[in-house]
Amino acid sequence: MSHFNQHWRKLTALARQVPVDRDEMIPPGFATRVAARALLAPSAGSWFMLERLAFRGFIAAACCGIAAMAYGLAHLGSDQVDFFATGTTETVVELLDLS
Amino acid sequence: MGDETFDFTGCLVRVRLRDQAACRQLVEQLYPQVIRIVRSHLPRRVAEEDLAQEVFLKMFTRLDQYQGAVPFPHWVSRIAVTTCIDQLRAQQRRPEYRWADLPESQAEVLDNILSDERDTAPGDALAARELVDRLLGQLKPDDRLVIQLLDLEQKTLAEISEMTGWNQTLIKVRAFRARRKLQKMFQELKTQEKS
Repeated sequence: MSHFNQHWRKLTALARQVPVDRDEMIPPGFATRVAARALLAPSAGSWFMLERLAFRGFIAAACCGIAAMAYGLAHLGSDQVDFFATGTTETVVELLDLS
Repeated sequence: MGDETFDFTGCLVRVRLRDQAACRQLVEQLYPQVIRIVRSHLPRRVAEEDLAQEVFLKMFTRLDQYQGAVPFPHWVSRIAVTTCIDQLRAQQRRPEYRWADLPESQAEVLDNILSDERDTAPGDALAARELVDRLLGQLKPDDRLVIQLLDLEQKTLAEISEMTGWNQTLIKVRAFRARRKLQKMFQELKTQEKS
């Protein structure tokens, strides 16, 4: 790697010697053209807000879903315990009433 | 960058009120900064003016997303950088680079550098620049950008982070990955030169 580093540094140092002589003056009419097009284009702001609200809505819906599932499971569990508990003292004969 | 004392806050308020003169002033103020980024990362076959215009139009359409967390020119430079990277990604990467593909001037410069035989002549700078650009063209756009900013524009990690929004660890990882790929290319070219 050290050999490569040495070569690369030499090459980039040489490349940096190229003068950057292109001016940064704005071309005539460029700003006017861009400003006009910018004002014609619809703003992304409303979409951005919608996206943010949609994401929050999704999180709220997911939380509600999880809470509902947790509530439902808790009740289902207790119902099942009651159901099995009622039958524990009766024999099979009593349950089927075969006499 | 343009005028250091330019009142971005005031100008942005007017731009949000759809004042065309303010829009024009903002473009005029930021043009040197944007064109510098566009020129240094210009994808092949893309006119710099078209790309600069795309950057400014993105800036205006996303203006409502600017929260003021970073200075406005930094926010715009991030848009410029991502626009250039998107353009580079959209282009097909060049095929494998071979010694035989190098123009004579570039092959000579590379030969001098690899052989460590003699110091390069000042006239070799342009060939070196073209060679570096061609080698960087083989890299992934993100990696290319990091090397361009670190090794050619000699920016610090903090400056690159400010410009791109990437954290410094990510920049170091990208630089490492890019240099490893460049090293591989160098080795391949060296092998081809000998054979």
